[in-house]
Amino acid sequence: MNVPWLTLVIVIPVGMAILLQLVPRSQTALIKALMVGATATVAVIVFALLYNMAGSPAGGGPLSLHYQERHDWIPAIGASYHLGLDGLSGWLLALNAGVFLLGALAVSRRATDRLRFYATLLLLTEAATGGVLLSADLLLFYLFWEGMLIPLYFLLSNFGDENRGRNTLKFVIYTVAGSLLMLASIIWLYFNAHLGTGETSSFDLAFLINHPSASQAALVIPGVKISTFTPQQLVFIGFALAFAIKIPIVPFHTWLPGLYESSPPFVLVFFAGIVSKLGAYGFIRYGLTLFPQPIGYFKWVLAALAVLSIIYGALMALSERDIKRIVAYASISHLGFIALGIFSLTQNGVNGAIIQIINHGIIIAALFLIVGMIEARTGTRELHELSGLEKRMPWLYFLFLVATLAGLGMPGMNSFVGEFTIMLGAFQLNWIYAVLAGGGVILACWYMLRLHQGLMHDPIKPVLERVRDIRLGEALLLSPLVALMVFLGVYPRPVGDLANPSVAQYVSIATGANPNPSSSAPSAGTPQAPQ
Amino acid sequence: MLAQAATIPALVTPTGRDLLGLLPELILGAAFVLLMALDAFLPSTRRSWLAVVAFISLAAAFGASMWGWFDSGSGRTLYFGAFAYDRYSMFVNAILLVSSALVVIISPQYLNRRGIHHGEYYALILASTTGMMILAGAMNLMVIFLGIELLSISLYVLSGFSRGDERSQEAALKYLLLGGFASGFLLYGMALVYGETGHTQLAQIGLALRAAQTSSVDPLVLVGVILVFIGFAFKVSAVPFHTWTPDVYQGAPTSVTTFMSVTTKVAAFAALVRVFTYTFPYVYTHWQVIVSLVAILSMLVGNIAALTQTSLKRMLAYSGIAQAGYILIGVAVDPRVALGTIGVLYYLAAYAVTNIGAFAVITVMAGRGEDLDSYSGLRGLAFRRPYVAAAMGLFLLSLGGFPPTAGFFGKFFVFAAAIKTGLTPLAIWGIVTSAVSVFYYLRVALLMYQRPAEDEREYAWSRTSLSAGIVLAATTAGTLVLGIFVFLLYNAASAAQSGLLPAIASSSG
Repeated sequence: MNVPWLTLVIVIPVGMAILLQLVPRSQTALIKALMVGATATVAVIVFALLYNMAGSPAGGGPLSLHYQERHDWIPAIGASYHLGLDGLSGWLLALNAGVFLLGALAVSRRATDRLRFYATLLLLTEAATGGVLLSADLLLFYLFWEGMLIPLYFLLSNFGDENRGRNTLKFVIYTVAGSLLMLASIIWLYFNAHLGTGETSSFDLAFLINHPSASQAALVIPGVKISTFTPQQLVFIGFALAFAIKIPIVPFHTWLPGLYESSPPFVLVFFAGIVSKLGAYGFIRYGLTLFPQPIGYFKWVLAALAVLSIIYGALMALSERDIKRIVAYASISHLGFIALGIFSLTQNGVNGAIIQIINHGIIIAALFLIVGMIEARTGTRELHELSGLEKRMPWLYFLFLVATLAGLGMPGMNSFVGEFTIMLGAFQLNWIYAVLAGGGVILACWYMLRLHQGLMHDPIKPVLERVRDIRLGEALLLSPLVALMVFLGVYPRPVGDLANPSVAQYVSIATGANPNPSSSAPSAGTPQAPQ
Repeated sequence: MLAQAATIPALVTPTGRDLLGLLPELILGAAFVLLMALDAFLPSTRRSWLAVVAFISLAAAFGASMWGWFDSGSGRTLYFGAFAYDRYSMFVNAILLVSSALVVIISPQYLNRRGIHHGEYYALILASTTGMMILAGAMNLMVIFLGIELLSISLYVLSGFSRGDERSQEAALKYLLLGGFASGFLLYGMALVYGETGHTQLAQIGLALRAAQTSSVDPLVLVGVILVFIGFAFKVSAVPFHTWTPDVYQGAPTSVTTFMSVTTKVAAFAALVRVFTYTFPYVYTHWQVIVSLVAILSMLVGNIAALTQTSLKRMLAYSGIAQAGYILIGVAVDPRVALGTIGVLYYLAAYAVTNIGAFAVITVMAGRGEDLDSYSGLRGLAFRRPYVAAAMGLFLLSLGGFPPTAGFFGKFFVFAAAIKTGLTPLAIWGIVTSAVSVFYYLRVALLMYQRPAEDEREYAWSRTSLSAGIVLAATTAGTLVLGIFVFLLYNAASAAQSGLLPAIASSSG
């Protein structure tokens, strides 16, 4: 099989984005068909790749990557075009393909008069996020990571309400500051890789994992001790800031509520669905493997910030009156769970984080779509102006109910599996974290039910009497998401089975355990989900 | 190589090989005379022919430089060590000639629209380019000065080219006064260096400084070195010697601004690297602090001042000041590390292609009789000229250092050089200011994609002509190619660095 499938995952959206420029702007039906066609093709390829992954040969080295493609890029400095897929990036890539397909489907031709512009940017974003997930070379990864901001900037600043410009700029400057520090860290890793004789340094991830920088003492600039941290720890902070801003972890979250509030649902579906998960992905893929010592050193702080995100997001969600902001803060709380799972540095925690990344992508996409549908019909997002919609919108009521239950972590729903597994990991780290995170679960029940009851129950307000239920197309958009929430709740094994070996590798590198995944007893770490 | 430079033969006629080594400069010089002569005979409606002649001569000089690239091999000197015939100067020549050619292509249309299409324009552009190429290859303090004066005097005239426009006249006068001031600094510095080392040849000066290194360095040499640096800092518009830049860039006709904003910087940096990194490496510890300081200030002042601008040309002027700061990082790193020079070369090429593109958009979109200068003139461009707006967006992103564009790798290599040599704080400072710069680049980029308000008059953008299309397509392609197929230019820059004369200190890595 010589087809460069992984390259196709990046090239198809870019190619279609270019092709779209030849289609007249007024041909909206054709533009939408082409956009959906391209994203669907990518989705088919990705799922076929995932399905065949277990049987495909894996590369050696610290990470067993499948379907590797490798070509020289800047040979003089050891940067290569190196793509690969493993259990972690595989599932994220599937989520990626899914949310962009959803985004392509979610935009109605009436929603915007700039459909071609939207389609172009959506496809370019998909290519960039796909590239982030596929690269196995740090410079290539950075290229996609930072390049992703370009289409995102135009998307977020052109579609949405009147505050979008300010909110987008805040987001972009936040993330650019973070990622440029990561660039400095990448360069430092490159120059400080501990080389054997005759070796030249490389940006390849596996190479840098195998050639960690020699541990150095605390940073001292001639005579003055400027920091108690070692250079490795400072370099890790560079990476951690970039990822923490992207997730975001409190206190780096301030860009999120405003931006989510001002963005339209058809952008949020993939923006909230995958972009914020890339921070979590970065922590697992690069934080755990490149910085075993620093992440072990900082895990207490990072886990504490994750717990803070859970509690803070939940409390804010409880106090907000704008339904979109409630969902935005709920998102911060959920992302805190994902972060907590990662920073527990245990097999369970990281496994749970991956499951929860997928779950959260599904749930948040559904919730933002629902909020968007309600806003489009009622013209308001104020919780106190809305009530009793259940009578007018029975179909939405049902779908929203499932999403609510999934959002609050009801057993039998998908996020229960993830949160439970994360809690296991958090408990292994320290019981305090698990208890506090448990408090977050209770708060989640509160704010999700407050949202659901406030919108759906109680007598209906007179102004809302004429509200219509969702159309068939909208129901078809939500149904697969809702079905997945239930399906992954009762049968989460597909995610776990594929991700487990990879997680074992990452965790063993991070904790300095035996790097051979076969001996680290994956059965001990496999979450036994309620069936 | 050193032996060759060390023994200066007394009064020997230069050989034909020496003359051949100057072929690119000679071609442009001849074309200069030809253009002046043609201008006397051509009817004023046929002035575009002058542009064709100028373009052909630039292409011929480019061809000669490419031949020189292969012919010069590991490099030698011409005219008894006064001029370098090495790949470094050919590399810089290539950037300069391509930039000038692009400017020549967009000029006729713009000048006609502004009503200032005079024949000497092209001759002056060629004269200035010749000066820059001489500066890039200069191996003697006197030749450096000659090059700087030739390029500057042509530019003084060019910036005042819009004779009826007060701002253009003001720009020319300001540039002349401050430029003369800078030349004074440079000359004074050269005099001090000559006085202390007894040489004007760079190779000899370098050797003398190496010999002096064992004893203590004379403070007068250091003063000379710093004054020379100040002279160059004026030309590259680094803070605190930048004050002329915004006014001159804004006042000069946009096609001239396009030309000078790129080529002056390229040539001055080329000479700066040759003089400081390769001639003064033995007093590196003394000048490194000054260069770093100027770099830090340029990044700070350029980016902060650009934030508050509402004029496109002024914003790009301050952005150019900030970019000079980033390039200076590559100069400030340890001379023994090749990556610094490679980074400077890569950055210059990336800056040239990007900045020409950005200014070309302002030039070709200019309305009749007025310059497209204010931010509001760009509002809604994407709806009327989608391809031009997309190209401008790409240039702004490249200036901001976003991958996958040329600007990213320019920054990447200089930051990498800084981190490699332990100047990490300098790189971090560059990173912090880059994050600030994103704000004003993206603000302009976004403006093009916003609909104009109902009552707001849309700017009367001129139609995209064939020549404008060619230039924008070329610069767009260049910005992307340098951002994706990095190895192409990196290998060339690396080859240019490895044969750089004068080779006094051994460089590694």
